Amino acid sequence: MASASARGETTGETNDVPPAVEVVGLTKVYPKGPTAVDSISFDVKEGEIFGLLGPNGAGKTTTIKMITTLSRPTAGTIKVFGTDVSSSPQQVRQMLGFVPQAISVDGDLTGYENLLIFAKLFFVDRQQRNKRIHGALELFGLADRANDLVKQYSGGMMRRLEIAQALVNRPRLLFLDEPSIGLDPYSRMQVIDHIRQLNRTFGTTILITTHDMAEADELCDRLAIMNLGKIAVSGAPRELKRTVGGDVLTVSVQGPIQDSVPPELGTVVSSEKGLVKVLTVDGERAIPRITEYFEQRGAVVESVSLSRPTLDDVFMKYTKASLQQEGSFREARSARRSITRHGR
Amino acid sequence: MNNLERSALSAFTIAEMEARKIRHDSTELWMRTVQPALWLLIFGEVFNNIRNLPIPGGFSYIQFIAPGVLAQSVLFVAIFYGITIVWERDVGLLTKLLSTPSPRISVVVGKALAAGVRGIFQGVMIFALALIIGVNLRFDPLDILGVFIVVVLFAMCFASLSMTLASFLKTRDRMMGIGQAITIPLFFGSNAIYPVSLMPVWLQSIAVYNPLSYVVDAMRAMLLTGDYSGLPLDIFALVLSTVFFTLCASVLLKRLIE
Repeated sequence: MASASARGETTGETNDVPPAVEVVGLTKVYPKGPTAVDSISFDVKEGEIFGLLGPNGAGKTTTIKMITTLSRPTAGTIKVFGTDVSSSPQQVRQMLGFVPQAISVDGDLTGYENLLIFAKLFFVDRQQRNKRIHGALELFGLADRANDLVKQYSGGMMRRLEIAQALVNRPRLLFLDEPSIGLDPYSRMQVIDHIRQLNRTFGTTILITTHDMAEADELCDRLAIMNLGKIAVSGAPRELKRTVGGDVLTVSVQGPIQDSVPPELGTVVSSEKGLVKVLTVDGERAIPRITEYFEQRGAVVESVSLSRPTLDDVFMKYTKASLQQEGSFREARSARRSITRHGR
Repeated sequence: MNNLERSALSAFTIAEMEARKIRHDSTELWMRTVQPALWLLIFGEVFNNIRNLPIPGGFSYIQFIAPGVLAQSVLFVAIFYGITIVWERDVGLLTKLLSTPSPRISVVVGKALAAGVRGIFQGVMIFALALIIGVNLRFDPLDILGVFIVVVLFAMCFASLSMTLASFLKTRDRMMGIGQAITIPLFFGSNAIYPVSLMPVWLQSIAVYNPLSYVVDAMRAMLLTGDYSGLPLDIFALVLSTVFFTLCASVLLKRLIE
């Protein structure tokens, strides 16, 4: 697994445009604690949606805290659009939007006031302020509740309000820490739509952490999987899925069962009770040929189903071994921490 | 916009945030006037009947404690801000505030200013009560203005102190504990409700260093005696410690989210 991380995503841009985020050798060691982040390097390109995945306690939130200037790195450098985070944190914060894991809108203010206060704290031009606030409320379907106290909002509405803040403040880079956690499927879908909308309409670069692999697959242009403070693997979702092997065809057969197929069609993984599982590179194209192969040998093919590797498989491949070895303690502690964070 | 302007602007925005919350729900502010009212109406009225208390300047007891009760109630409001900031950390608001481009000092100054606003409300309520029950104070506009300036500085000072402590103690429970442990000794070890001359000698030597005594002193000068000779020192000490604790809290606040 260590060799996978050594494959180095630090290539960087060679042209003049600095990447949205450039992390080199970033390390965080807590006093008397574990090494939370262990010399990681990665780039986020301008305009992309980049996912940071990994089990609890992998170091995702610590990494985000360091990029958002909330926590000081033990070693390494971070540049945001070419500006060094350690030497000019305030300039960097002017370019950032941050939606933390726990819902962080102020329940004792109205939706409008939440947007107003944070627009002021971001020094949004007075002339544009009100127009943008009303526009954001309208777009995110909160206009009719704008003057209600936020504590009367539903969880999904609160999340939408937080993302609406990004629409008012127009950061170049937006951080979303587990944005869809605890939302019902419909609210989740709305939130994801809004994230995508921000990315497309304003070219906002988005860095997102999530546990939901389907969501990451759907949303992210590229992603990195962190494990035990290191980047286990990174790349586009499609590339990553390719690394866990090909498609699996499950063929339901009656009659004489074959225990093997020609190597150009794939390899038989298992064969029992009339079900043959074949691992193959390109599942869709293999279906007719495998059917033909079985039927030529006197069997009747009843059905064929195709399953593709998912990001879940990728996630398991690159994090499983460590979860079994060392995970339990860190896991338990970090899970507990996130419970206290959510408990009000 | 230079950094100073940005800090000032953000501090006022944070204070505005608090003011808007108070406007939505001012229950807490009204509840907080109950305690000083009890001190004046019950404690003050009862002890007013004791004639041989050695009160300097020949004032009645209830006149004597009115400025003390005001100072005490401002202290109680301000020391509460450390708990507020821990609460905001717990719900994620502090992280959000600190990730804005606003300078960190403005978060502290803004909260401290908000404590000042609450302090002024306490002042207005106590003056109103004093008028109603006929406590004879020098209601001179300039003196009242002076008292409000002292109230705001004092509230800012202790709100900043409280936020400084919060960055070390980090939990609400501990902050509640330390709040009690600070306010009660400060209150009873000051000249707020009895003259220092009544205290045992050991307590008198401690009371000299009690900041609350200086605040009460300044308020008495403006509301009762009109003797301003001690004022410059009182206000100088107050400004100095306000600046000191504000800087402490701004530097240390980050500890809360690490």
